[in-house]
Amino acid sequence: MNKWTKLTLPLLQPIAAIIVGLLAGAIAIMIAGGDILQTYAEMWKGAFGGMYFFTNTLSRATPIILIGLGAAFAFRAGFFNLGAEGQMVFGALSAALVGLYMPGPGWLVCIAAILAGVIAGGLWSVMAGYFDSRFGVNLLISTLLLNYVAVLFAGYLVAYPLKDRSGSAAMAQSEMLDNSVWLPKLMSGMPLHAGFVLAVLAALIIFVLLKRSVIGYEVRMLGGNPLFALFGGVKRGPMMLGAMFFSGGLAGLGGAVEILGSQYRYIDGALSTADYAWTGIMAALLAGSHPIGTLIASIFLAALQTGGMGVERNTEVPLEVGAIIQAVLILFISARFTYSFLKRRKGDKSDGTAV
Amino acid sequence: MLLQMDNITKKYGEFSANRGIDFSLRAGEVHAIVGENGAGKTTLMRILYGMEQPTSGTIRLNGKEVSFASPLDAIQGGVGMVHQHFMLFPTFTIAENIVIGNEPGSGAKFDRKQAVKIVEGLCDQYGMKVDPRAVVSSSAPGVQQRVEILKVLYQGAEIIILDEPTGVLTPLEVQELLDAIKQLTKQGKSFILISHKLNEVMDVADRITVLRDGAVTGVVEKGNTDAHQLSRLMVGRELMELDRKPITPGEKVLEVANVSIRGTKGKPVLDEVNLEVRAGEVVGIAGISGNGQSELLQVISGLAQPDSGRIAVSGKDVTGKSTREIREHGLAHIPEDRYVWGANRTATVMDTGLMGHQRRLQKGGFLNLKEIRSLVSGWVQKFSIKTGSLETSTQYLSGGNLQKLIVARELEQGTPFLIAAEPTRGVDIGAMETIHGELLKRREAGTGILLVSSELTEILKLSDRVLVMFEGRIAGELSAKEATEEKLGMLMAGGTL
Amino acid sequence: MEQLFDLALINSALRVLTPILLAALGGALCSRVGLFNVGLEGFMLLGAFSAVVGNHFFGNVFYAILFAIAIVSIFSFIFAYLSINLQANVIVVGIAMNALAAGLTTFSLRALFDVKGAFYDNTMVGLPKWNIPFIKDIPVLGPILTGLTPLVYLSFLIAGLMWYYFYRTKNGFRFLAVGENPLAAQSMGIRVRRYQYGAVLASGVLCALAGAQLSLGQVTMFTEGMTAGRGFIALVATMLGQSGPLGVTAASLLFGFMDALSIRFQGLALPTHFTQMLPYVVTILAMFFFKDKSFQKDALKQGSSSR
Repeated sequence: MNKWTKLTLPLLQPIAAIIVGLLAGAIAIMIAGGDILQTYAEMWKGAFGGMYFFTNTLSRATPIILIGLGAAFAFRAGFFNLGAEGQMVFGALSAALVGLYMPGPGWLVCIAAILAGVIAGGLWSVMAGYFDSRFGVNLLISTLLLNYVAVLFAGYLVAYPLKDRSGSAAMAQSEMLDNSVWLPKLMSGMPLHAGFVLAVLAALIIFVLLKRSVIGYEVRMLGGNPLFALFGGVKRGPMMLGAMFFSGGLAGLGGAVEILGSQYRYIDGALSTADYAWTGIMAALLAGSHPIGTLIASIFLAALQTGGMGVERNTEVPLEVGAIIQAVLILFISARFTYSFLKRRKGDKSDGTAV
Repeated sequence: MLLQMDNITKKYGEFSANRGIDFSLRAGEVHAIVGENGAGKTTLMRILYGMEQPTSGTIRLNGKEVSFASPLDAIQGGVGMVHQHFMLFPTFTIAENIVIGNEPGSGAKFDRKQAVKIVEGLCDQYGMKVDPRAVVSSSAPGVQQRVEILKVLYQGAEIIILDEPTGVLTPLEVQELLDAIKQLTKQGKSFILISHKLNEVMDVADRITVLRDGAVTGVVEKGNTDAHQLSRLMVGRELMELDRKPITPGEKVLEVANVSIRGTKGKPVLDEVNLEVRAGEVVGIAGISGNGQSELLQVISGLAQPDSGRIAVSGKDVTGKSTREIREHGLAHIPEDRYVWGANRTATVMDTGLMGHQRRLQKGGFLNLKEIRSLVSGWVQKFSIKTGSLETSTQYLSGGNLQKLIVARELEQGTPFLIAAEPTRGVDIGAMETIHGELLKRREAGTGILLVSSELTEILKLSDRVLVMFEGRIAGELSAKEATEEKLGMLMAGGTL
Repeated sequence: MEQLFDLALINSALRVLTPILLAALGGALCSRVGLFNVGLEGFMLLGAFSAVVGNHFFGNVFYAILFAIAIVSIFSFIFAYLSINLQANVIVVGIAMNALAAGLTTFSLRALFDVKGAFYDNTMVGLPKWNIPFIKDIPVLGPILTGLTPLVYLSFLIAGLMWYYFYRTKNGFRFLAVGENPLAAQSMGIRVRRYQYGAVLASGVLCALAGAQLSLGQVTMFTEGMTAGRGFIALVATMLGQSGPLGVTAASLLFGFMDALSIRFQGLALPTHFTQMLPYVVTILAMFFFKDKSFQKDALKQGSSSR
């Protein structure tokens, strides 16, 4: 294999997938009675047309990147953590609570709120990891179901004890954070905030960690063949708890920076409606759990969403066209697993902890 | 001639598994095919059984050319196959296992009572006893073997292919199988026997075809040959003689005291096992697989915990410790199954080679890639491991090359104690000689080695002492001088000396 | 507590357990042939939506259900093709199918009906609610079996048929054999893929029925994400029931009862958030009592040696 094909071959399938995704989107647009070229032009403008829209896309990508990185890390270690939504919600909620009630200078409160978000998301996630490693509770299912519990619990808090009663709105939401604890914007007048820098840093750190560190090596081996890792002296239990904390912590961080940098309060359902969690998981799957790939895929998927909004503003086509393109993309890309799973016996059962 | 295979060639890409093989079978004959691993025996039989299509060549049954597109075609053509790994459904009954594919009953209904009657009839007809109502998973390997043969007989097979049929049988069960084969040939059935155990071949076969590197190197009548000639035809040269220098054993490097594991079905998996290994000796454990050897190794290496008893490595108690701690106390381990325990197929050769060394070759939590690279490429040269590069995915290594990588990795640990489980399973003669040589070098350097192997020849060649495991117990111990295949066979079957 | 537990509760449990039972039976078929179908949720959601679409356009419940079955069958065929022929990771495909179902339904809601969130049309006909003449007068049984849709009865009938299929027919015997040891089944000339396809398509049909019961049974409307995790609860019922029809039915009964109880609690002064949590919490708790295979055995199965 020469160098050129070696470099382009891994890109071939993602590009093909994007083309197929766009074709599926075109069919959807046709059904909705829109003009395909015009719709895609609006989509491009909505995502990248001008500085405001571009930074808006990056801002939307911020929680998605962090959540995607968390999912990717867990996947690499062989744990199917699908609980990003609950972990993000608890991270966001804790960040909002610390931001509202902790005394002290704004910058300190902001840092404390971010840490609280990481810890809350991490603990919620590590709980599921503990259930699996100690009691054999299927991780994939428990993390999924815990999402509902977390969202309902946070919803209860902002609907009753912590409800913002100052405004006339009947919305279930917390009070607004003081602007001294807000994450700084990167450019004045633009939506992009400092959380994006954290997200890019996280991607780079995880990339180096996985490739070069001892822990990263053990994580990769555990994900590839858990018995081999065990045989070689890797302790699965502690690794599972650690990986789940790290993964959930990143999702919690995603929720926290979204609150501190964009929404400034916890609004019931706002994070779920935006679908940050599942988009993040999709980004990780698209990128084959590669950290840098996850970063790029997250921005791409965020662009589909912000582009979809642009489409909705200026055409008759609903914004969910982005969701369709995204899902078709994932389906198409999932077939790529054929290569890496070629040697695995077919018809194998998976309990969700072994990727 | 009942069966005639002419000029069979099978290519996988560039690689030829079979090269112009001619093979024939007479009615009522037992025709054995012998050869090393990778010589092409199994491929040839998969072609005959319709599981693979030949690249070129013809198959004729009773003079008529046939082409089997699937096992179903082969079965209908009167060819049955008993695979090396039993193709049985463990939770189903014996009767269900035999009638599957042609179940009795009217319409869509499956009549299980009728199935039992059919199987009882088959048992009488062919003189092989099984209990049709018993569940397969709770039956002995010898019984499962009979179930496989009854199954192909039920399908109406005239030609029965047996692929390495004696691997999991006790010597007594082997004898029963060989007797059954002779009995069935009297009733007109013909057998193709694939084996690498020359004594069994010499016992039962009428003719023997020898394969090497995918080609026929000889077809001989049993009366005109002997085991020595066969092994020379198989390998293509005389085998090297190993010399085992006498050594006085030193300190205890492994001590296992009263170790037991309770089983799920009342029978203990390990029953009060006591053994020790001293520096500079090779202790062999012989036994039919499934008599507790795997569990014993898992307990010693920390992959499983014993219910009672004590284990010490290099004089330190390691009972209940994790694999990492036990390795740190001085254990290296060549695992019995290289794909399950020994490698990560999707990782690079370098990553697979690194396992167990990662905490040594680091600086501040980061891997010292330069040192790792030079270490692993050193092994690749020393053991002549064939790999594209260190970045090649492990799954592309052949079994023998991967085994050499694993052996190199574990020897590099330089520990006073080494477990070598099935160190040469499925590798070619060249790799086997390399691995045996290296193990003996370690012995001379003072490492204590616990060798577990299902190949008696390997046990006898390398061991200073031989222990035999039967049903979770140490059934007996013999010194290298006392140990013979016959004596070991007796102990392996649960007998006494 | 008297108002909490009465015969009407059992009646409502039967109504709400039906979608879970149907989907869980589909999940059991898939897991028997070695495919862990995480896509049940998406199958069911699409079934609920297409049943409403069919109802709107045909004005006939029977055609509506047929339409739902057709749509979900196409959907499950994609699942089968990707995971069986292309050997994609079943879990990844399942997750993607769920996302696709969510995207498709919200998009089509806008594209077809031009509404957001929910669609309701008072010309639509719901599933008939049967009051069987003689039974409704029997004391205990009467109130329990009052006003149930045919799908409730059908779901139990299907569970019974599945039992008969597995344990009394030749074809069902081979189906179990495929799941037990696919390699051995193949060597017997049994076409493993055919059975796998059959299982996935059947699970698609069952999920279409489950969705129809959701959107045309209790209420006659579709809301976005109305399955609300029932597909995953069904998956747990599959696991708890060890993929046997009777066990799956029993597990679904438990979850259906919890669902009904949570609806009943909403009449009380408790915040609805907590009553809505009940089914999820109970499902997670149930998994503590089900000893899943250890990861070691699972990994052993996946990595078994080849020479």
